[in-house]
Amino acid sequence: MTNAASPTPVGEFEPKIVAYVCNWCTYLGADLAGTNRLEYPANVRIIRLPCTGRIDFNLIVKAFEIGADAVLVSGCHPGDCHYTSGNYHARRRWILFRELLATLGIETERVHFAWISAAEGKKFQQVISEITSQTRDLGPYHAYREICEV
Amino acid sequence: MSQVISKPAIRRLVERWLRQGKRVIAPVQVRPNLVSYQPVRSSDQFLLEGFVRPLNSIKQVVFPRHEQLFQYRVRGKQIDLLPAPLPDIERIVLAARPCDAVALPILDHVFNWEFRDAAYNRRRELTTVVTLACMEHDAHCFCTSVGSGPDDTRGTDALLFDLGDQTLEVRCVTDKGQSLFAGQTEASTRTAAAGPGPERRADLGRISEQLEQAFERSEWAAWTNRCLGCGACAYGCPACHCFDMVDEGGPTCGARVRNWDACQLGQFTLHASGHNPRSVQSQRQRQRIYHKFHVYPKKFGELLCTGCGNCTRNCPVSLGVLPVLEAMQAEEAK
Amino acid sequence: MLQPLRETCRRLLQDGTVQVVIGYGQAVRAVEPYPVFITDPDDVGQLVWNEQCRTNLVKYLLRKEIRVLGKPAIVVKGCDERAIVVLEQESQIDRSQIVVIGVACDGMAEPRCEVCDAHQPRFADHTIGHATNVAQPAERRYAALCEFLEQPPSDRMAYWKAELERCVKCYACRQACPLCYCERCIVEKNRPTCLDTSATLKGNFAWHIVRAFHLASRCVGCDQCSRVCPEGIDLRLVNLSMARASEASFGHRSGTDPQAELVLGNYSQQDQEHFIR
Repeated sequence: MTNAASPTPVGEFEPKIVAYVCNWCTYLGADLAGTNRLEYPANVRIIRLPCTGRIDFNLIVKAFEIGADAVLVSGCHPGDCHYTSGNYHARRRWILFRELLATLGIETERVHFAWISAAEGKKFQQVISEITSQTRDLGPYHAYREICEV
Repeated sequence: MSQVISKPAIRRLVERWLRQGKRVIAPVQVRPNLVSYQPVRSSDQFLLEGFVRPLNSIKQVVFPRHEQLFQYRVRGKQIDLLPAPLPDIERIVLAARPCDAVALPILDHVFNWEFRDAAYNRRRELTTVVTLACMEHDAHCFCTSVGSGPDDTRGTDALLFDLGDQTLEVRCVTDKGQSLFAGQTEASTRTAAAGPGPERRADLGRISEQLEQAFERSEWAAWTNRCLGCGACAYGCPACHCFDMVDEGGPTCGARVRNWDACQLGQFTLHASGHNPRSVQSQRQRQRIYHKFHVYPKKFGELLCTGCGNCTRNCPVSLGVLPVLEAMQAEEAK
Repeated sequence: MLQPLRETCRRLLQDGTVQVVIGYGQAVRAVEPYPVFITDPDDVGQLVWNEQCRTNLVKYLLRKEIRVLGKPAIVVKGCDERAIVVLEQESQIDRSQIVVIGVACDGMAEPRCEVCDAHQPRFADHTIGHATNVAQPAERRYAALCEFLEQPPSDRMAYWKAELERCVKCYACRQACPLCYCERCIVEKNRPTCLDTSATLKGNFAWHIVRAFHLASRCVGCDQCSRVCPEGIDLRLVNLSMARASEASFGHRSGTDPQAELVLGNYSQQDQEHFIR
């Protein structure tokens, strides 16, 4: 059962969004958004990792297991990786992983990917705002939570 | 005089049990060629004929593959432990095979040995086992070789026999069985008999002594080296009961849980030091055979095997206890 | 076919080229032939070949219990052989120390046989027989997956819930897979625990996601995982989805080209990124 169709009264549901971000670009982008006082929804929980290449696909699943309604994975733009190629490797993995999620019926519209550099505080603000409002429309991710109930 | 009940009447009974909030577990055709004991949701979902043996066992009813022992919650410096409530839902196992039911009294030994397992025993009390005598067997059945048979009533509360024409004979074995079928059966002059059962496929009379002699044999590898090291034999076995306990959760809350474990998995005996006393598969296979045919009989006086043959049936490479015992006894006979 | 197969094996054992032949033998009662390990040339009579030889034997090249028997020859079909190609690409075997006996196969009446294009082994050292079947067109390969994906996500999820509900975590899928060779599987890591070991729906989803994705772009589609599952859980659809994605996005079909670059572990600056903001 998905909840895409079930209308959630506005104001009642605050989506939980887990953002796995790389230490060198997106985390600094988030920081920049903060220091520039660019307001973005407080629904996001940022988890900093060294590189998108380190972001194991399991972490995406884990986030849903513990109640995330959407997940963002974000790091340096192609060509900008602090470790030269971590984001390229990550990109390949995501191409395949999205297919697996789709086959299992996990809602791929709840899994987001972005390149956000350290200079893109504005983009960080935009992406988080977009994801939050999209997820608000999708409603809580009951389907995966049901799986996780013992 | 015998007692009979029609198959439609049994299905109506199931309907009533379900309405009463009881849990009914029965053989379900999961897909062609695959029958499995599953919780039943409606009275037309389960089989009363046309299968030899489900691929799993009814031990899951009394010893689930996963259960919580307690939950923990951390609040500041305080840790609350919340014991899992004891089970309270009545369960009825319907149309199980006798080789499944026989395993329950065998399992009672180990779950009441040094420690009385409260949850297990509570589930045992809550469970009524209705078995269906076997009319057919397949190439892997060997119940007759372990002293059991197609109409064994051990562990059974009521035994059903197929009379054909949509009718079953009901033989109540215990009070639980009596009360389950009280007023539901009709008197009849017809009686049924089980099928002939498999011919004796191994002579296990002296198996414990034979194993005692065979421990150091170099042939264990040759007998077992096609084993791939999965747990399909143990998890489909009505009598295997090994478990693992793990903590699952996070720093603020979680649970200690008990899960099935299997002696063929490489990690089963792996020490924290990295040493593994059973480092190769033949040692693990030998252990499984020993536990069932030597250790358990010595401790509790009976085999830890009901001859259901599920280990071979489920095995990706057709191993299981009987082929190993046969290979061993063939070697002995040389 | 059987006679040349036995003769080849006898010769290899007799002249000391190999010490053990990994092949199919006939079990006493089981319908399906089971793996046998022949070390004595006089025992080649135990080898069989028929339409029931579905099992992929390649896993035994990695099992230490078999490795101690010495240099192996292994009997494979065209489909199984692909796993050997991948193992070599991933540096898990020394191909020069293995003799591959390929047997032509006209299908074993399994779903994958209907879309097979590897009836005739291509990389074997010795090939027995000639397959008469013709290769099936490529577009049929993923037909089952495409049909499945026509359902809405909620129905797909419901399907997997019903399937994985039955998983008891016996790990037969992992143990039988020729490409699952980690010394310690991630699901067995317990300091700290990475995945729930419980056979709950949560733990089962986590496990099957890991299993499938660790085989992404590597799985050769031998269906051994589905074949061995005692609960009859059909894992082909998840495997097919990874295979289709790796073929569509990277032009890669696992185990069909020994010279091909592996998909994961490499990258291209041109990889698609339409889904990245």
